[in-house]
Amino acid sequence: MSILQIQDATKVYEGKVTKRALNQLSFEVEKGEFVAIMGPSGSGKTTLLNMVSMIDTLTSGEIIFNGMKPQKLNSEELAYFRRRQLGFVFQDFNLLPTLTVEENIILPLTIDEQPIAVMEERLKYLSELLDLTPILMKRPNEISGGQAQRTAIARALIHQPMLVLADEPTGNLDSNASREVLELLARMNKENNTTILMVTHDPIAASYCDRVIFIKDGEFFNEIYTDDRRQTFFQRILNVLSLLGGHVGDFSSIRLP
Amino acid sequence: MTFLQFAYRNVFRNFRNYAAFFMASFFSVFVFFIYSMLMFHPEIERGFLGEVSIAGMVFAEVVLVLFSWFFIFYSMRAFLEARSKEFAILLHLGMDRNQLGKLVIIETMTIGIFSCISGIVFGFAFSKFFFMIVREILNLNALPLYLSWEPFVLTLFVYLSAFIVISTLSILFTPDIKIRNFIRGPKFVDAAVSYSKRNAILGIILILCGYGLALITTKASIFSYTLLIPVFVTLGTYYFFSDTTLYIIDRLKGHKQFYWKRARMLAIAEQVQILRFNSRMFFIVTLVSTLAFLTVGVLSAMSSYTSQYDKINPIGLIYKGEMDNPYEIEHILSVIDELEFNGISYHMTRFTVMRQTSSYTSNPVEVFRETDINHLLFSYKYPLVNLKSGEAMFIPYSEDSIEKLERTEVKTVLKENNVDLTINSVYPKMFFPTAIISSNSIIISDEDFEKLTNEFEMAPYVEPGYHLFTFDIPNWTETKNVGIDIQQMVARDYLINSEYTLPFYFENAGLNYSYILATYSLLTLIGILVVAVFLLASGSFVYFKIYANLDREKKQFDMLIKVGLSGKELKRLITRNLMIQFFLPWGLAFVHSAFAFYVVQTVLNDVMNLSIVKEVVFSFTMFALIQIVYFFLIRWRYISHVRG
Repeated sequence: MSILQIQDATKVYEGKVTKRALNQLSFEVEKGEFVAIMGPSGSGKTTLLNMVSMIDTLTSGEIIFNGMKPQKLNSEELAYFRRRQLGFVFQDFNLLPTLTVEENIILPLTIDEQPIAVMEERLKYLSELLDLTPILMKRPNEISGGQAQRTAIARALIHQPMLVLADEPTGNLDSNASREVLELLARMNKENNTTILMVTHDPIAASYCDRVIFIKDGEFFNEIYTDDRRQTFFQRILNVLSLLGGHVGDFSSIRLP
Repeated sequence: MTFLQFAYRNVFRNFRNYAAFFMASFFSVFVFFIYSMLMFHPEIERGFLGEVSIAGMVFAEVVLVLFSWFFIFYSMRAFLEARSKEFAILLHLGMDRNQLGKLVIIETMTIGIFSCISGIVFGFAFSKFFFMIVREILNLNALPLYLSWEPFVLTLFVYLSAFIVISTLSILFTPDIKIRNFIRGPKFVDAAVSYSKRNAILGIILILCGYGLALITTKASIFSYTLLIPVFVTLGTYYFFSDTTLYIIDRLKGHKQFYWKRARMLAIAEQVQILRFNSRMFFIVTLVSTLAFLTVGVLSAMSSYTSQYDKINPIGLIYKGEMDNPYEIEHILSVIDELEFNGISYHMTRFTVMRQTSSYTSNPVEVFRETDINHLLFSYKYPLVNLKSGEAMFIPYSEDSIEKLERTEVKTVLKENNVDLTINSVYPKMFFPTAIISSNSIIISDEDFEKLTNEFEMAPYVEPGYHLFTFDIPNWTETKNVGIDIQQMVARDYLINSEYTLPFYFENAGLNYSYILATYSLLTLIGILVVAVFLLASGSFVYFKIYANLDREKKQFDMLIKVGLSGKELKRLITRNLMIQFFLPWGLAFVHSAFAFYVVQTVLNDVMNLSIVKEVVFSFTMFALIQIVYFFLIRWRYISHVRG
C-alpha cells in the first residue's frame, strides 16, 4: 500500500525570471519504505520536500498522502496534519537552544498537548533505542553533531508519524557521525517500520536506502533498487550519477567504508 | 563605488532596518527642540510663564538631554547588535576594524543629521500647538510663536555632538565580532542558566522590606524611611530580574505536569533566555517607568491640591499672636494699611481664645466666644451659631472629623472656672484651616465666656490663650504682596531655630497659593515632557531588544511551523513571549508606584487631609491603556516581521 503518491507534480516560480522547479514529477512511496531522492543542485529536491510537507503549494498536479489530499486542508488543519503525520530531520538539526535534549525530543507531543504519561513513556523508549539517555539533561550546545542529529531523529519519531522527511540529514556531520545516523535511520526503518523520505546528494547516504529516485531539472530521471550488498548498490548509484551529468562539485568526496 | 557611497547606500537602501534607530533619535530631537523653543521664548524675561523659573527649565532640559543621550546610546547598541552578521561578512571580506568604525560613524552621522533636521522641522511645526497647551496649563493670555536662531543652534549642537560621541563610544565598546560564529553553521546560543539562590531570595526580601516600610511609614518616620525605601526597592528590583525570575522559572520547570503541558515549555524556555540576557534592561525599564508613574501621580495629586486649596484654606490672611504679643498692633495696622493701599476688600475678625482644662479628658481645650465666631461666619455667609448658657459646640478640624464629632456628646467642666458644659453638636462646615487651631476646640455662649476669669492652670508654662485675627478676603489670590515683612520674619524663624520662638504666626493663603501654583506649573511642564520621553524610551528598549533577536527567532518559528505549530498557536506563543517582556517590568513599576503613593497618601492625610486616590487611579488607568495600545502595536509589527 502506498503511503505517498505524487502525480504530475509541477511547480513554477513566477517572478522576474520564471523558473520551473518541478515538472510533471510522479512517484510513489510504499509504507515502510526508505527512499532517497538524489539529484544535482537545483534539481528541485528541496522544492519537492517542501511540497510534501505542505509548506508550499503545487502549481499543478497532486499529492495524495495516505489516501487523502492535504492540499485541501486549511492552515489550521495543515498544522495538525504536520504535527501528527510528519516527522522532520533537518540538515542543521534545528534544535531549540533554550530547551534541553529531553525537552527538544518531546516538543512535538507538547505542541500536540498529549498527556505527560505518554510523553514520558515514548521518551523512555526512544532514548534507550537511540542511546540518548546519558545526554537527556544536556543542552544542544553541549553535545556533538552526531548526538544532535540523533536527538533530532528522536524528535522526528516521538509522535510516531506516518512519514519522516529528512533533508540532507548528514550534511553537517563527519563521516563517523554520518554512518551512525544513517545506520540508525535504516534500523528505525527496519525495526519500527517507519517510512522515510530522504533528500540527499551524498551517494553514501543514499546507499543505505531501499530505493533511490534520481531527479534532474525537476523531472524524473531514473530509479534503482537496493540489492544484497551496499557496496555494489553504492557503485550503481555512482553510475547513475555520472549519467546524470551534474557537475563534479555536486558530489561529495567519495568515502568508502 | 567609494566608501562614502557604500555607507550612504547602506543607509538609504535598507531604510527599513534603520527606521527604529532613526525614530528613536528623531523623537529625542523633536522633544528637545520643542522644549528649547519654550526656553528661549523672548517674553520669558517679562515673566510670561508666571512663576516658572528659568533655573527649573534648564534643569529639566539637562535631565532631558542626559536621558535622551542614554536612550540613543542604548538604541545604537541594540542596532549594532542586530547588524553583527552584516559586519561579520564585511570583516570576512577583508575590511579592517578601523574601516568598520568609519563605516558605522558615517552611517550614524547620516541618520543623525537626517533625524536632527526632520526633528527640528517637525518640532517647529508642532511648537505652536505645544505653546497652546502650555498656555492652557499656565492660564496665560497669549503665547505667540516666534523665530530665533537659539533653539536651532542649541538642538543641532547638542545632538550632533551626541551622535559623534555616541557612535565613537559604541564602536569602542563593541565586543569582538567572531566571524566564525556568523558565516556558517548552526549558531548556538549559550543557554545555561546562572543565578544564585541567595540573590533570588534576597531580591524578594528587599522588595518586601521596602513595601513593608512603605506600609508603616507615618508622618514622623517619613524622612528616615524615604531614604531607605528607594534603596531597598531598587536593589530588590535588580536582584528580582537577575536572579529571582530565573529561580522561579527553574522551580516551575521541575513540575512536568505544568511545564510540559500545552506548549508552555516553549514559552517558558524562551522567557529564561530573554530574562537572562535582558535583566539589566528590564531593571532600567522598571525604574524609568516607576519614575514616570510617580511624576504623573504627583502632578495629578498637586492638581487636586491646587483645585481644593480654596476649600482647605478658607481664610485669606491669618494672624495668630500670644496674649502679650508686643507686635500685635503694629502688625495688624500694617496689614490693614497694605490691604487698603492695594484696594482689596476684606472682613477682619478678632478672636480672643482661652485655654482651659476639660475635666472630661483633663486635656487643654481651646475655647472660642460665640459672638467672635458668628462675626466670621457672617462674613462667609454661613449659618450662625446660637448657643444657650451651658451649651457648647465642637469646631471641626478636618472634613472627616465632622462626622466623628457629630456622634460625640460630652459633659464636661472647665476646671479653672467651674463652668459646666454639654458639648452635643458640631459646626457642619470647616471654617478654620487645619493647622491653625487645636483639634480640641469648642464654641461657648457669651455668658459662659464672661465667666472665664481664672487663667489656665499651667499658665506660666503654656500660654493661657491667644489672639487670632482672620481676614476673609473674597479675592484671596491677590494678597500675595500683603504682609511680606511679617511673612519673612516667620520664615526666617523657621529656618534658624529648631523650635518656633516668635510670639506670633502669620499665614498668607494667597502667597502660599502662588508658590504652589508656580511649583505645579513647573513640574507640569517638566513632567509632561519627561514622561513622554520616558514612556517612549521604555517601550523602545523592549522593541529594540526584540528587533535585535529577530533573525534567530524567525528561524525558530520557521522550524516550529514546519513541525506543525498552527498560525493561531504561533500567535499565542508570540503574544505570551511579548506579554512578559512588556508587562513584567511595567507591572512591577505599577506595584512600586502604588506603594509609593500609599506613602504619599498617608503623609498627605496627616498633614492636610487630602485624598489623591481618585487622581492616581485615573492616571494609572490612562497609563495602562497607553501600554496596552503600545503592546498591540509592537505585537502587530513583530508578527508581521516573523512571518515576512
